Amino acid sequence: MSPEVIEETIPPRNRPELSDVIGTTVLAIIGLAAMVAGFGYGMTVENGQVGPGFLPVVTGGFVLLASLAEIARLFLARTGTTDGRIMRTVGNIEATAAESVGLHANASEESAETSGLDTFGRTEKQRNRAPFHIFLTFGVALALVPVTGLIIALSLAVLYVLVVIEKRIWWVSALITLGAAAFVYTVFVLVLSIPLPTGILGLI
Amino acid sequence: MIDNLLLGFETAVSPENLLWCFVGVLLGTVIGLLPGLGSTTGVAILLPVTLAFEPVTALIMLAGIYYGSQYGSSISSILISTPGDSSSVVLTLDGYQMARKGRAGAALAISALASFFAAIISLIGLIALAGPIARFALNFGPAENLAIILLGMATIVSFAGENILRGITMAAAGLLVSMVGVASGFSTARFTFGSVNLLSGIDFVAIMIGIFAVGEVLHQIRRGGEKPIRAGFKDLIVTKEELARSLPAASRGTGLGFAVGVLPGAGATLATFLAYGVEKQVSKYRKLLGKGAPEGVASPEAANNAAANASFIPTLALGIPGSGTTAVLLGAFIIFGLQPGPLLFSQEPDLVWGLLVSFFFGNLILLALNLPLAPVFAQILRIPYPYLYPIVLFTSLVGAFALGNNSFTLWVVFFSGLLGYFMKRFDFPAAPFVLGLVLGPLLEKYLVQTSALGEGSLLIMFQQPISAVLTVAAIIAMGYPLVAAVIRNLKVRRQGKVAVDS
Repeated sequence: MSPEVIEETIPPRNRPELSDVIGTTVLAIIGLAAMVAGFGYGMTVENGQVGPGFLPVVTGGFVLLASLAEIARLFLARTGTTDGRIMRTVGNIEATAAESVGLHANASEESAETSGLDTFGRTEKQRNRAPFHIFLTFGVALALVPVTGLIIALSLAVLYVLVVIEKRIWWVSALITLGAAAFVYTVFVLVLSIPLPTGILGLI
Repeated sequence: MIDNLLLGFETAVSPENLLWCFVGVLLGTVIGLLPGLGSTTGVAILLPVTLAFEPVTALIMLAGIYYGSQYGSSISSILISTPGDSSSVVLTLDGYQMARKGRAGAALAISALASFFAAIISLIGLIALAGPIARFALNFGPAENLAIILLGMATIVSFAGENILRGITMAAAGLLVSMVGVASGFSTARFTFGSVNLLSGIDFVAIMIGIFAVGEVLHQIRRGGEKPIRAGFKDLIVTKEELARSLPAASRGTGLGFAVGVLPGAGATLATFLAYGVEKQVSKYRKLLGKGAPEGVASPEAANNAAANASFIPTLALGIPGSGTTAVLLGAFIIFGLQPGPLLFSQEPDLVWGLLVSFFFGNLILLALNLPLAPVFAQILRIPYPYLYPIVLFTSLVGAFALGNNSFTLWVVFFSGLLGYFMKRFDFPAAPFVLGLVLGPLLEKYLVQTSALGEGSLLIMFQQPISAVLTVAAIIAMGYPLVAAVIRNLKVRRQGKVAVDS
């Protein structure tokens, strides 16, 4: 067998995704911080028994080491960690299934490109921006809770999401928002008697 | 055993419990249908709604949501190739292909029949095994309990899929989050950063609502969707050939699903992939798999339901959740003042056996609902998602508040949602994180007790036969895949060097 042929059979090194490296580095930093803080809580108590800092140190150290090993694997490993195991078969089927789901998602993305809208009526741009826009909306709503109360703040957030982010017809959106608020009020306040925060306004 | 079953039957057939069982499986089916809303999300969102119920009624309803959503998520996998739950991902292979070939109704019917078959067989296994395991576990001391938890964590490593290190790191990260607050058995506040709200720890149900409801729903927004394939009532008739081919596949799926489901941390998703893998090896029609074969629907679907039932064995008998959803259910037990584990069987027999017997009625209701009505449920898929998700977020946040009666919980859900979104988007697994989170307090409790028993030495774990065997098994389960991976990599690198040299 010529060297070229042999080289073809050797899997190439992994090319790690930036998100993988960043995410794992964040985990390593958390592990390190937990370990350092754990030493401050005291590893042992009297008679050398396990103290409040023992588990944070051990777990934090483990997270740190495992994250560093994972970063090394991301850059150096030539094969996955499952070759030759039953999990390889699982991984292959998982990949095929993900491809199948992705295939249909891509198909809908393609149709979105041609028609401008996907089957949920959103453009691709909307889909990508929406999660952050929605998080921000609900974050603002939670900040408003001490003023307007929980139900009003969240209802406003739902209305904003429907009308502004999803660009739905305003009166349908208003009806849905009112319906949702009425449902939540009935279940949690009237049936379960849970005192939801009413804020400074003190309405509902 | 018969006495226990009769007691359970008496509890399960009370009109109130039957009604809420029906409501649970119905809601579960609808929730499972909706893309991005799986069984974990459904149980987490609706847990606060059950607070006003008797514990047994609440748990019957929540369990109904669990297995109801397994049926529902199959419908969306088959009709729109968008799984409602990760355990139905594999159904998109043959289920959707059957639907495209005009056999959508048959695929739905095979899925419902296989689910029911697996549910009943695995329920018999669950009833037969849970009691004896709980009785055996009554003899366990802290060392044995600690060893079992370590073995549970090690199982996560063994079944972490492509990325073992990431799985175990996420489990350890979950453990770290569980340590926030005053340590049990100590007076030291850990990782509270001076916040009074963090003194009593972070409510893990709130974190789960954030990760599974908020995070998953928002992740779903980035995906488009397929127009549902229509399935008429007439299409639900399964041909003799399809039925004959499905039965052996469903039997294999049931056996495998049950075996995998019993292991803490393995879960139904893994069971479905393994079952499909087995079909690819042993089925007479393996060449047709992936092209719309009934075996590709029956086997994973049976494995899914069998694993879901089996995951109740470690949850109820040992207090160790077998999956993400049973972890939330474990939270429900704790909220109702119950501690799952060996003592539960002797202290609350009517609750435990009532819950187990209710599975039978729940699955019967599901079969009755799904066989004729699957096309009706499928209409829910036509509701535009943008109208649904804001309501899910609204309900999730109010539900989380109801759990803790505390505005701080809202922020926990919010930030956990952000975390869950990034975890999902960048493929950091949530299940090990959640299991670490749930098992953390128990792990520390038994660790402290074991250390006290051994007067500071944890080697006491190797001095008693059961704990020694379990600990060694945990070490092997955790170490073997990692060491084997390193050796394989070294071999490949050496091969590469030889190739370059020559």
